[in-house]
Amino acid sequence: MEIKKNNEQPTETQVLDQIISNRRSLIKLGGAALAGFAFAGIAKAQTAVTDTDILNFALNLEYLEAEYYTIATSGMTIDQMGIGITGTGTQGGVTVKNNSPASAQVPFATPAIQSYAQETATEERKHVSFLRNALGSSAVAQPAIDLLNSFNGLAAAAGIGSSFDPFSSEVNFLLGSYIFEDVGVTAYHGAAGLITTPANLDAAAGILAVEAYHAGLIRTVLFGLDAANPSLGINATATKISKARAALDGTNNDDIGLGVVTNSLGSASTIVNADANTIAFSRTTTQVLSIVYAGGPGKGGFFPAGLNGTIK
Amino acid sequence: MDELKTLLRRAHSRRSFLAGVGTVSATAMLVGCGSSTKTPTTPAGITDADILNFALNLEYLEAEFYLRATTGQGLSSTDTGSAAGAVTGGSMVSFPTATSSQYAFEIAQDELNHVRFLRQALGSAAVSRPAIDLTNSFNGLAMAASIGSSFNPFADSNSFLVGAFVFEDVGVTAYHGAAGLLKDKNNIGAAAGIMAVEAYHAAEIRTLIYAGSVANPSAPYLDDANKVSALRGTLGGGNETKLSATSIVAADPTNAIAFDRTTDQVLHIVYAAGPGVATKGGFFPNGLNGTIKATKS
Repeated sequence: MEIKKNNEQPTETQVLDQIISNRRSLIKLGGAALAGFAFAGIAKAQTAVTDTDILNFALNLEYLEAEYYTIATSGMTIDQMGIGITGTGTQGGVTVKNNSPASAQVPFATPAIQSYAQETATEERKHVSFLRNALGSSAVAQPAIDLLNSFNGLAAAAGIGSSFDPFSSEVNFLLGSYIFEDVGVTAYHGAAGLITTPANLDAAAGILAVEAYHAGLIRTVLFGLDAANPSLGINATATKISKARAALDGTNNDDIGLGVVTNSLGSASTIVNADANTIAFSRTTTQVLSIVYAGGPGKGGFFPAGLNGTIK
Repeated sequence: MDELKTLLRRAHSRRSFLAGVGTVSATAMLVGCGSSTKTPTTPAGITDADILNFALNLEYLEAEFYLRATTGQGLSSTDTGSAAGAVTGGSMVSFPTATSSQYAFEIAQDELNHVRFLRQALGSAAVSRPAIDLTNSFNGLAMAASIGSSFNPFADSNSFLVGAFVFEDVGVTAYHGAAGLLKDKNNIGAAAGIMAVEAYHAAEIRTLIYAGSVANPSAPYLDDANKVSALRGTLGGGNETKLSATSIVAADPTNAIAFDRTTDQVLHIVYAAGPGVATKGGFFPNGLNGTIKATKS
């Protein structure tokens, strides 16, 4: 399927023509894909996005993830670890509790969980560096990032409580991680369809896989902790986060929480976050922005001044 | 984006080079060190249907493994095509806890769904299930990996995890490699989405094996998994990350980008075949069905 990304808004007729001409391949993917495609064609037709725009969009998200994990594991911001955060757009700092990254270092109680966190922090910093190297002088600066009010607002919106501090314990840290990783998967999955050069597609697919490894890791650890400590209600909290994400992106049906379900074979976990065909969900950049802005118009949530770059 | 291309090319050639060092393979050394460094590619002229059928063969294998482990029954005849090959081995695993069983039942359903999705997408072009061996394959693999003279992944839930470990990271690298070969945007989207699911599975299996080693340090399963990983690296061009507390993710250590494999490298692993032309062996005693089924070298 090829939708031409013109500078002009395609007419509805043109979009319908595209849909009809691609009917066969769309049928393969079912009605949901058809609806999504029609929506994307009509509502999204904006100025053509380049691979640079897409990779910069991803870089904004990687800054967010890298700051979260690095502060949680080291009590330092990524620039304090030697990672570059300069670039085009407006550079911003990180808002964190007590105005002190050091105070936000998580008091890990389980060595394995601390190791998992350190691994994830290292990998997200590598993603930042990789994208910055790839983009060169086109790389956007780190935008302002809020890791304090964002979580409180999300907790209230998700019905978890009036506040939520992901740095206060390892369980809270894992739940905070849960917020990001599945979104990363859907964002890169959506981006894969927009990228035009094979090398960029290969890189995006490879980062997508790593975000899915992270999501699988976090979800497996949370599910295991819930089974061992049912009174903590960990799966229920994670499921509220999933519901909030699906509500924010406007679909209400593209995010699977954690729990036990009965599938066609028997009683099963829901570690994988995927659709009825067990294909991971995909989100448009607009849907991802709705989530990371916590529904705010053009900015808000984790990005109080918005993203840097053309997609914001 | 030329810089990105250069970076990726560098990563690829570096990987091939490392593979050569690890396996003492003269061919791989040449690939890694030659002036025109290029990872061996899947032959030109292949269609999306060829690639999706290649993936379907791998999904048949995974589905048979997980379905037999959870239910004792393999794919039903409605899911295998009219010319389905026989499946050897595989039996219900006795899972000690509800949680360990729930993980397995989830993945079994996921892989069944992947078989059905690909068969539906391919329609009449879908290949039938090839003959699959879940007994001699694991025994041969255990010997080649120096795990022991035999290995039964259905013996208990820890052995089952090691058996699952054999497949999942390979699935990620196979779909990652395939994404670059597919032409249709829909197919790329679907392949990327299935790759992500394989990565969820891979992380789950790797996390559970690592956590098991923390709970029971004297158990052999983490060591067994890493022996499997080493063997996959030898057969399939490197592209492996040893499992440890700080390496749940299998990815290129420089950029934290997941590995990819050519169809050739994947075939070497599932056929348990060293350098040379191979058309069958390992998990597929009669080879794959479809057009991509012989290793080039």
